[in-house]
Amino acid sequence: MTVLDCGIGSYKVVSVATPYELERRLEALGLTEGTRLDILGKKRNGASVIKVRGTRFAIGAEIAAGITIEEERG
Amino acid sequence: MSGQINVGFIGNPNCGKTTLFNAYTGAKLKVANWPGVTVEKKEGMFSAHGVDFKLVDLPGIYSLTSYTMEEKLSRGYILSDDVDVIVDVVDASNLERNLYLTLQLIELGKPVVVALNMMDIVEERGMEIDLHRLPEMLGVPTIPVSARKKRGLDVLMHAVVHHRDKTLDALEHHHHRTSVKMGGRHRHNHHNEHTMVYSDDIEDLIDEITKRLRVHYGNIPNPRWHSLKILEQDEEILAQFPLAAAGVPNLEKEIINQKYDFIEEIVEEVLVGRSAKVEMTEKIDRVLTHPFWGAPVFLGIMAVVFFLTFTIGDKLADGFGVLLELFSGQVERLLVAIGASEAVVSLAADGVIAGVGGILTFLPNIFILFLALAILEDSGYMSRIAYVMDGIMGKIGLSGRAFIPMLLGFGCTVPAVMASRALENPKDRLRTIIITPFMSCSARLPVYVLFSKMFFAENAMFVAYSMYVIGLLVAIIVALLISKLGKKREKHSLLIELPEYKAPNAHSIVIYVWEKVKDYLTKAGTTIFVASVILWVLQNFNLSGMTNNMSESFAAYIGKAVAPLLGPVGLGYWQIAVAIISGLAAKEVVVSSCSVLFEIGNINSNEGMAELAGILAAMGFGAINAYALMVFCLLYTPCVAAVATIKKETNSWKWAMFSAVFQVIVAWICAFAVYQIGSLIF
Repeated sequence: MTVLDCGIGSYKVVSVATPYELERRLEALGLTEGTRLDILGKKRNGASVIKVRGTRFAIGAEIAAGITIEEERG
Repeated sequence: MSGQINVGFIGNPNCGKTTLFNAYTGAKLKVANWPGVTVEKKEGMFSAHGVDFKLVDLPGIYSLTSYTMEEKLSRGYILSDDVDVIVDVVDASNLERNLYLTLQLIELGKPVVVALNMMDIVEERGMEIDLHRLPEMLGVPTIPVSARKKRGLDVLMHAVVHHRDKTLDALEHHHHRTSVKMGGRHRHNHHNEHTMVYSDDIEDLIDEITKRLRVHYGNIPNPRWHSLKILEQDEEILAQFPLAAAGVPNLEKEIINQKYDFIEEIVEEVLVGRSAKVEMTEKIDRVLTHPFWGAPVFLGIMAVVFFLTFTIGDKLADGFGVLLELFSGQVERLLVAIGASEAVVSLAADGVIAGVGGILTFLPNIFILFLALAILEDSGYMSRIAYVMDGIMGKIGLSGRAFIPMLLGFGCTVPAVMASRALENPKDRLRTIIITPFMSCSARLPVYVLFSKMFFAENAMFVAYSMYVIGLLVAIIVALLISKLGKKREKHSLLIELPEYKAPNAHSIVIYVWEKVKDYLTKAGTTIFVASVILWVLQNFNLSGMTNNMSESFAAYIGKAVAPLLGPVGLGYWQIAVAIISGLAAKEVVVSSCSVLFEIGNINSNEGMAELAGILAAMGFGAINAYALMVFCLLYTPCVAAVATIKKETNSWKWAMFSAVFQVIVAWICAFAVYQIGSLIF
């Protein structure tokens, strides 16, 4: 599942698949595999507010669909 | 060695870097573009400790890769000889994010001083940072400062002076967990030399590549950094040192992860009392970025902004007007007393003071508007607006981020068009640049204030509001049309940091507002002054010399030639035509022209308005004409400065001219609709 499919809560990043340059930028922001990702807000069009490594970002639906996550365990 | 120290200020966006920079340089800074690119470059000079400092404010960035223009530029500049010391501004309330850039800067091998900013916020939240342990772990001086409260500024520059010639001191204090564990097979212990030490396999590769670099390229400075960049497959460095890169795996993700792991260790050790209470920002965001309430709240805030602009601004403007009248009377008496000719008295009183002075009375309205925009920007709300508006902007094919330039367009079209730089996609930028001029800038405000008060009495404010709404609607419709005309719809995704909310900083706001007020005054003193003088000449002379009959003047000839084109939109009067043409210099000139053309002393006073309204009514110019005029002024080409900026930002005269002509056409069509439909109904 991706950020687009999920509601507010805590998750873990499984993989990131967006256009090359964007992917590199997200990685530099610390959005790498295994990172904890909190979804803080969600709009009907899919835009979301996420928190990664201490920073909140607003992301559009296309980026949200490119970030695969899983429920945080334990 | 020269006595001057060149200091590069660098840091994440929203870390308070510009506030810190301003705290040193005040408003005395030089703003230009970096050569060849549309990224702003700010420079300022100041002296302390008997040394001259040249400070350069680098763009706010998160990392030093070579994927974005800002990052490439900052990296190249820091590596060049133009920087002696790097001041890395770190938001202490968000160490985890900010230290990533810090680690990268330290790896560059130049002297780095960390300015630990926003210590006041850390305290407010009941957190503490171990200021002894942090510099030990980083291996660079770390100075707590508060740019907002101007604390620690001297100490920071003192550290800069002392560390200008030092590269990294030997580190003896820190061993990460990853490589302290037994059985590490890497030959030597790097912890004495480097802040950031990677896992053994990466350190092996670094040694290997460093050796190759030495063999093929001699003694290059900082081979460790180059080796790391080769392991990250950095395109710029690969192209420079192809021989060292053969067969090297891409370990970028590994390197990023290990850096963040190290940062986690640092944060765990130095940060005490990590905020137990629910953060204020998240509470506020529950309302301001609410999926449903976010948009109405934003509209409400903007309504309040404009309400204040009109009401408080008007109160202040009244006082201003009294002063102006006093001044004008004095000048006229003085000139008559010293025996100045009638022409000179008329030029001074009817030309310059009526034109320029009339415009100055609108300064309070404009002051309030820019004050509000400055507060919205400084508090951290602006980036939320991008998120809130993302849905609506998505429908017209733009990301929410494009709304920020549009919003700034309420202030002034010139910086708004420049703000479109934040959009990465060139097509999005162009579309944003085309629609931004329809947003009603502050220069158009005098036109609404004047004509709505004259013709709509108690509904004046409502009528003026409607201009802002019409401007916004036209911008949206135009964007929608362009997106429908475009062949395929591209995906435009939003990515913007939502910083912590903070109380706006008085110093930053004063600087921001003062810049705008200064621009306005400069414009009154130059563009509007010149336009008023030219207009006075055109209106008092014809081919046979000076004339008292205005309808036989040059101005009348020009106006009468253009007026028929404006007939269908209800503006077919030669004086109005002249006012509109001269409004191309700056929109305020529409109003100053009216004072000159109709010979009104203080146009922004009750008597002045009554006088003008009387003259216009006698010409058959009524409320519908006035509304059509306001709509026309809202939509037609903003001013020469805006056209020049569009040329600069699109790097194309074709687009600049297209947008200017396009706006006139849109203005004509909309005013036509207003006038024709209005005339049918009323």
